[in-house]
Amino acid sequence: MGRYIARRLGQGLVVIFGVTIFVFVITRLIGDPVKFMLPLSATPEQREARRAAMGLDDGILTQFFRFIGDLLRLDLGESTYVRGQSALSVVFDYLPRTLQLVALGMIFAVVLSIPLGVLASRKPGGITDRILTTLSLIGLSMPQFFLGFMLLIAFTVKLQWFETGPGPWTTNLVLPAVCLALPAIGRLSIVVRSSMIDEMNTQYVKVAKAKGMTQRRIMGVHALRNAGIPYVTLLGWEIIRALAGYTVVVESVFNWPGLGFMAKTAIKNQDFYLIQAIVFVIAVIVVLLNIVIDIAYKVLDPRVDLQ
Amino acid sequence: MDVGSTLPRGKILQKRYRLLGSLLALSLVAVACGDDDSTSTTTGGSSDSTGAPVEGAEITIALGSEPTSLDPYIVDDGAERAINDNIYETLLSRDAGGTLQPGLATALPTQIDETTWQFTLREGVTFHDGSAFNADSVVASINRIVKLVADAATDNDGFYRTITGATKVDDVTVNITTDGPDGVLPARMYWLKMIPASAETTADLSESLVGTGPYKFVSRTVGSDIQIEVNPEYWGDAPSITKVTYEFVAEGGTRLAGLKSGKYDLITNLPPQDVDQAPQPANVQGQEHPVLILDVDEGITADPNVRLALNLAVDKQAIIDQVYGGFAVADAAQILSPSVLGFNADLAPVEYDPEQAKQLITDAGLEGATIQLVGEAGRWLNDRELLEAVAGYWKATGLEVQLDILEFGAYLDVLFDRTNRADAIFVSSSNDILDPDRQLSTYYQAGGIGASNSNEELSALIDQGRQQLDPADRQATYEEAVKIAADGSYFVWLASNSDLYGLSERMSWTPRVDSKLLVKEMSVTS
Repeated sequence: MGRYIARRLGQGLVVIFGVTIFVFVITRLIGDPVKFMLPLSATPEQREARRAAMGLDDGILTQFFRFIGDLLRLDLGESTYVRGQSALSVVFDYLPRTLQLVALGMIFAVVLSIPLGVLASRKPGGITDRILTTLSLIGLSMPQFFLGFMLLIAFTVKLQWFETGPGPWTTNLVLPAVCLALPAIGRLSIVVRSSMIDEMNTQYVKVAKAKGMTQRRIMGVHALRNAGIPYVTLLGWEIIRALAGYTVVVESVFNWPGLGFMAKTAIKNQDFYLIQAIVFVIAVIVVLLNIVIDIAYKVLDPRVDLQ
Repeated sequence: MDVGSTLPRGKILQKRYRLLGSLLALSLVAVACGDDDSTSTTTGGSSDSTGAPVEGAEITIALGSEPTSLDPYIVDDGAERAINDNIYETLLSRDAGGTLQPGLATALPTQIDETTWQFTLREGVTFHDGSAFNADSVVASINRIVKLVADAATDNDGFYRTITGATKVDDVTVNITTDGPDGVLPARMYWLKMIPASAETTADLSESLVGTGPYKFVSRTVGSDIQIEVNPEYWGDAPSITKVTYEFVAEGGTRLAGLKSGKYDLITNLPPQDVDQAPQPANVQGQEHPVLILDVDEGITADPNVRLALNLAVDKQAIIDQVYGGFAVADAAQILSPSVLGFNADLAPVEYDPEQAKQLITDAGLEGATIQLVGEAGRWLNDRELLEAVAGYWKATGLEVQLDILEFGAYLDVLFDRTNRADAIFVSSSNDILDPDRQLSTYYQAGGIGASNSNEELSALIDQGRQQLDPADRQATYEEAVKIAADGSYFVWLASNSDLYGLSERMSWTPRVDSKLLVKEMSVTS
C-alpha cells in the first residue's frame, strides 16, 4: 500500500507539473495582464515600464525558466488582480468556500442518490422506477446555469427562503449546493439503480434468497456494498468535476465568492499568476482525490489489488 | 462513462414529457403560494420618517465589486476608494459641486516659484494610531508615491507623475515640488491620501489602514465584507452614522433585491431601468462621457463634413430616453462635465438633423461606403444598446456600418493601436480628480493613447493648460482647446449618463459630482 501510494504520488507530480506548464504556455499566448491592471488613460510608456517591472518584456524562454525555478520553490508569483498578494495566498483565501460548497453538495448527492437508486431498483420497470429514472434524467440533463436561475427565481426571489452571496451556510449555501447536487444525484442514482439490478441477478443473491434472507437485508447489506465500486468511481468523478468546473458556474450564478468565482475573475482580467495558482492547487487536489478513490476500492472490495 | 445508455431510451422519453408537465404545474403552484409566508424582514423604509438624523446609526452599503487592494497608492479602483475615502483624508477636498476646498491643509496652496507649491497644514489632527499629522506625514506621503511611480509599481502614475518631492519648512508648512510648472497640482493633492510618517516604506498599506479620516477600519472578510466604525477622535464634525458594513455584490439584481428588502441602505450603479423599483433613487450628473473617437487623419472620417454628418445623424434625445431611461444629459460637444475646470459653456450639443447628415454624406460621394465602429459590451452602462443605436443612425445617412463589438482585451488592442486608428472607437471617458488635463491628454492630444488626431495647435494648448498656474488662465486655454475639437467634429459626442444610486427610505444623502461615497455626509432618519 505504502509503495503504491508513493508511486501514485510520483505520477501525480508529473501530472501537476505538466498541467501547470501547459497553463503557463496558454496564458502567455493569449494575453497581457498589464492591459487590465492599468487605467485606460495610462500612457504607452507607463505600460512598458510596468511590463518591464514585472519581467513580462523578457523573452518567453527566460520567463519560462524563471517560472520553473519559482515553481520548484512553490512560488507562483503575485496576482495581478488581487494586488500585492501572492497568487497562492489568494487561492487559499477563496478555496475554503469552494470546499464547503462541494462538501455540502456531495453530502446532498450521496444522501439522496443511494436511497433513490435502491428504491428504483426494487422493481425495475415499475412505476417508482419510471418516475425516479425520469427525474434523474431531468436532473442530469439540465445545465447548471439554467437550473441555478430557476432555483433563484423560486426560492430566493419568490419564496425568499434563501439569500445569495456570502453568508451563513443555512441561508446562503444550501441553494448553490442543491444546484451542484441535482445533476450529480441524477447520474449517481442511475448508477446505483443499474448496479443494484445487476447485483440482484447474481448467483450469490439467488442463494441468499433461497435460504430465506429478507429482501431488505440482501439489498441493504450485500448487494449495496458490491454496487459500491462503480458508485465510488462516479462519485469521485463528480467531486473532481465539481471542483474543476461546475463550481465556476454555480458560484457565479449564486454570487458565492469561492475559487470558481475567483477563477472567472482571474480569466477575465488575464491574471496569469492567479490562473496558474488555481490550476495548480486544483490539480494537486485532483491527484490526491484519485489516490483516495483507489484506496476506497480496496476498502470496499478487499480482492482489489492495488499493486 | 455514458450512464444514459443503460436506459430504455424511447420509453423514458414519452413518460418524461408527461411528468415534466405535471412537475412544472406543481412548481408554479408552490411558487405562487409562497408569497404569503415570505420570511424576509424589512428593516428600512419606515413611512413616518421625522427627518431628524439618528445618532449612532449603522448602515450597509452594497458595492458592485470587492476592492482589488486596500492600498490607495497602488491601485486605481472605485471599490477601494468607496471605503478608503472615509478612512483617509487629503490636503484638499471638494464640495459636493466639485469646487476645491481646504482639507488637511487650511487653505488652497500658494506658489513659491514656478515649480513649488506651499501648503499650510491643519493643527491638532491625529492619525488613527495616535500619531500626529504634520509636515513629516506629508513628506512621507509624497516620498512614498514618488518612489512607487519611479518603480512603475503604482497604477496611479497619471495622477502623480509630475511630482518630484516635498520638503518640510516647519511642522505645519510643506513645500511640494514638481518637474515643471504644474497647474494640476492642487487637484492632485485632492487625490493623494495622507499616511503617517511611519508608513512611508510599508510595501502594502492593505494590512493596516491608518488615516486621519472620520472612520476607522474594523475588519475584513475576504470575498464578503469590510466594516468601518466612527473615529471618536475625528477633528471635524462628528458624523451621525457610527458603523458601516460594505458588502460586495456583483449582480445588479441582487443589489436591488437587497435594497428593497432593507438589507442595504445604499447601492451603487442602479440601472436606469430599475429606478422605479428603488425605494429612493438618487442621481447626479457625474463625469461619465460615452463618446466615439473619430479618426481625424485618415480614412473616411478624415473629411470634416463626414465627421459633422456623423454627429448630426445621431438623435441624442432618443438615446437619453431609450438607452439611459432619461437619466443623461446631452454632451455639449466636449467630454468635460460642467463641474470640471475648462468646461466651455459656449458650446452646445450638436442638433439632430438626419436630412443634413444624409446630404453631407451624399455630397461627399460616400453613399454605400463602409465605416468601422469598434466597441465592447458589458463594461459601461448599456454600451451594447448605445452602439447599436448609433450604428442604426449612421446607416440612415446612407453609409454602411461595420459594427465590431469585441471582447474587452481585443477592444483595448484597437483603442491602444497607435499606428492603425479605426474610423470610430467607442469609449466612456471619466474624470476622477475633476481636472481636465488627463482626460484631454488621453483623448484630445495627439499621441494620447485614445486620441485619433494630429492637431499640433490643440496639442500645444493642452500642454499649455497643464503648465499654467492660475486657474483662470487654464480655464481660458482649455475652453479654446475643446472648441477646436468641437469645431472640427473630432468626436461624436453623445450623452453623459448620470451616476445612479438606490437609497433605502431611511437614508438621507445627496450624491456628489466626484462620485465619492462620504459617509460623513450621509444620515439616517428615524
